[in-house]
Amino acid sequence: MSVFMDLNLTFTEDKSVLQRMIETAAQLGFSTVAINYMFEPKAKKKPQIPAPTPITELMDQLPVVQGRSRPIRVLNRLTLVMSDSFHFRSTAPEYRCFDLLAVQPTTEKLFHAACMVYDIDIICVSVTERLPFFFKRAPVNGAIDRGVVFEVSYSAAIRDSTMRRYTIANAISLIECCKGKSVMVSSAAEKALELRGPYDVTNLSLLFGLSDKDCKEAVSSTCRSVLLHGETRKTASGIIYTVKSCSEASDQQEAPPQSETCEAPPSKKQKSSVTE
Amino acid sequence: MNVDEKDGSGVYQRVVLKNSSPYHYLKVCLVLEDELTRLSAVELKHFIITGLKNLYGEVGAALSFDLLKYDEDTLTALLRVYSRGLVKLWSSLTLLGSYQNQACAFRVLQVSPFLLALTGNSRELHLD
Repeated sequence: MSVFMDLNLTFTEDKSVLQRMIETAAQLGFSTVAINYMFEPKAKKKPQIPAPTPITELMDQLPVVQGRSRPIRVLNRLTLVMSDSFHFRSTAPEYRCFDLLAVQPTTEKLFHAACMVYDIDIICVSVTERLPFFFKRAPVNGAIDRGVVFEVSYSAAIRDSTMRRYTIANAISLIECCKGKSVMVSSAAEKALELRGPYDVTNLSLLFGLSDKDCKEAVSSTCRSVLLHGETRKTASGIIYTVKSCSEASDQQEAPPQSETCEAPPSKKQKSSVTE
Repeated sequence: MNVDEKDGSGVYQRVVLKNSSPYHYLKVCLVLEDELTRLSAVELKHFIITGLKNLYGEVGAALSFDLLKYDEDTLTALLRVYSRGLVKLWSSLTLLGSYQNQACAFRVLQVSPFLLALTGNSRELHLD
């Protein structure tokens, strides 16, 4: 069985809060966490995508995961809240600083595009409001075939009972549509007390209509496949991988410096030229 | 339940549970934002029932569970619940997020159909 992961810890400016969250996650038994940078492009000015804080700057010593005697792995993730199609630029170099790329579509058209076209890893399902659209089988199945995963987060359900209703309702309607496949349950926690243990999350996912097996996969193997999908995004179909040889090998994945010319991995767009 | 005992050694006893066990036992620990707050056993049980009622309504609040043991200093409790009510009780514990307007969280430390299993915790072992 693959290890437990929580791929959504909300980024806050306050470092101590973030450190407490990572420590708690390690204590609860999560082997990998991702710090999530929310980004909502505004219509007027040119959007400025936040640059991730390197993990080494955040914490000197990463805490040891409970029962595994290995330090926790921390990743960076970007979530785009999209209300228009031009908010997503597929070739933006800013995206490369992040290990995972997620979008939260707000209209049905964007949801369709996110499922079928965009080169992303995660589609977030809104849990704080009534669903603005219905899930349709075709795009959802398309997303599953492409390896894109749907995410339901539970910390809003802990905060407020109205949100809890929306979370459960939206999750159920998603899971009815995708039959429990490719669903990932994560926390979206803003502080340490909003995190729950992996087995708690597994049990909670039962309420969303997932089967016992899918519940466990929602915190473990689905997350693993998201990570692998995120890695293939940086490579040419997962076949060729470019590594900068000048920097020493590091276990932690850090954010690469932004302005670098040699740091341009062959993206999927260039697939034909690579395979020739 | 089928208890078979070997003759020579009365020390060891093998217990085989044929049917699924009637109860599940949970060891939970309440973590509060303000660490100085103390709850009595009655307050804790009432708090859990409130959580059940919030999530499952009156029918959920009628779910019977017992608080077998409670340590006020560490806020650690042992709960016993009918196996069919386990998912309900556990999910309501998960979704409890505030106690008297302060953030809180239930950390479910162990869950087992056997009370004896809660005497030790394999996750606290240090692996090297």
